[in-house]
Amino acid sequence: MKKTILFIALVAATGSIFAQKKTTTSGTINFDATTSKDALPKAENKTAIAAIDTKKGTIAFEAIVKNFAFTNPKMQEHFNGATWMDSEKFPTATFKGNITNLAAVDFKKDGTYNAEVAGDLTIHGVTKPVKTTGKIIVAGKAVSTSAEFSIKLEDYGVNGPAIAAGKVSTEPKISISAGLQ
Amino acid sequence: MESVKKKGPSVLQKILVLIIILLVLGGGAIWYIFNEKFSDTAKTKSDYIIKALDLIHEFEKNDSLSNRKYSEKIVVVNGMVSEVEAADTTVNIKMADTTSGSYIIFAFQQQHMAEARNIKQGDQVSIKGSCSGGAYSEILEMEFITFKRCALNK
Repeated sequence: MKKTILFIALVAATGSIFAQKKTTTSGTINFDATTSKDALPKAENKTAIAAIDTKKGTIAFEAIVKNFAFTNPKMQEHFNGATWMDSEKFPTATFKGNITNLAAVDFKKDGTYNAEVAGDLTIHGVTKPVKTTGKIIVAGKAVSTSAEFSIKLEDYGVNGPAIAAGKVSTEPKISISAGLQ
Repeated sequence: MESVKKKGPSVLQKILVLIIILLVLGGGAIWYIFNEKFSDTAKTKSDYIIKALDLIHEFEKNDSLSNRKYSEKIVVVNGMVSEVEAADTTVNIKMADTTSGSYIIFAFQQQHMAEARNIKQGDQVSIKGSCSGGAYSEILEMEFITFKRCALNK
C-alpha cells in the first residue's frame, strides 16, 4: 500500500514538473539587417527550440544558424561566412534568461501579459547580457511568447566590409515568437 | 583626284568602348547576383537520398562529420511523420526517433507551404529540402537536424 501511494505521488510530482515546462521545436526568429542601401539582409528561422518554465520563469531559445532562410543565395552565403556568423565554427545561437516580473504574469489565467525578460544571448560564440520587454499570451494550456529587440553586431564580434559600407545594419532587429505547449 | 582616307576609331575611343562594355557586363553580373532567388527545391537535383532514421543515427554518431557531409546540400528524406507542428502562420513537419527523441524538422519553401498543411501525423512521406545541419540541443537533450526550403518529393 505504501509503495502504491509512493508511486502515485511520484507520478503526480513528475506530471507537475512537466506541466510547468512548455516547449516547441518550431519557434520563429526573424533577422532584419536591411538598410536604405540594401533590402536583402533579412531572414527567417522557423525551427528554433524554445522552452519556458512557468513556475521558475526561465526562458530559453536555441537555433541552428544555417537554418536562417534568405531569399538571395549570395546573401545567405555571406551571412554564414567567416566574416559574419561563421556558422561552421559557431553552428548555434542561444538565449537563456528569466522573466524578471514573474509576479505580473499569471500562467493559470487566460490573458495577455507584458513580460520583462533578461538573460544571456550567445551569437558567434560571444555571450552578452540582453534585456527586453515581450508579450506572453496564456490561452488554456497553451502559452505564446513574442519579443523584439536590437543587437549591436560589433558586440558579438561580427564585422565585415558590407557592414562597414552601410549595406548591413550595424544594429539588426531580432523578432522572436513561439507557441509553446 | 585625291582619295579620302577613312579614319578608324582612335585608341582612346577603343578604350572608352571597352570600358563601357565592361561596365555594362559588370553591372549586369552584380544585378543578377543580388536579384537572384533560390530556385524551386522541387525542381532541384538532390545530392543524397536517405531514410529519416538513418540520417538521425548518422548525426547522433558524429554530428560534426555529418554537418560537413550534409550542410547546404539538397537531401531527400523518406520517413514517417511524427508530428505536424504550428510554426508562425504555417506548419513544420517532424520525423523523430521514438527511442532517443532525436528528430529532423522540415520548414517548407513559400510556394510549397500548402503541401505541408495537407500532411498528417503517421503519413509516410518523402521530403526534399536544403539541410542546415544538426546539433545537440541543451534544452531538449537530444539531437535535432533542421531543413529549410522544403517541398514534397513527388
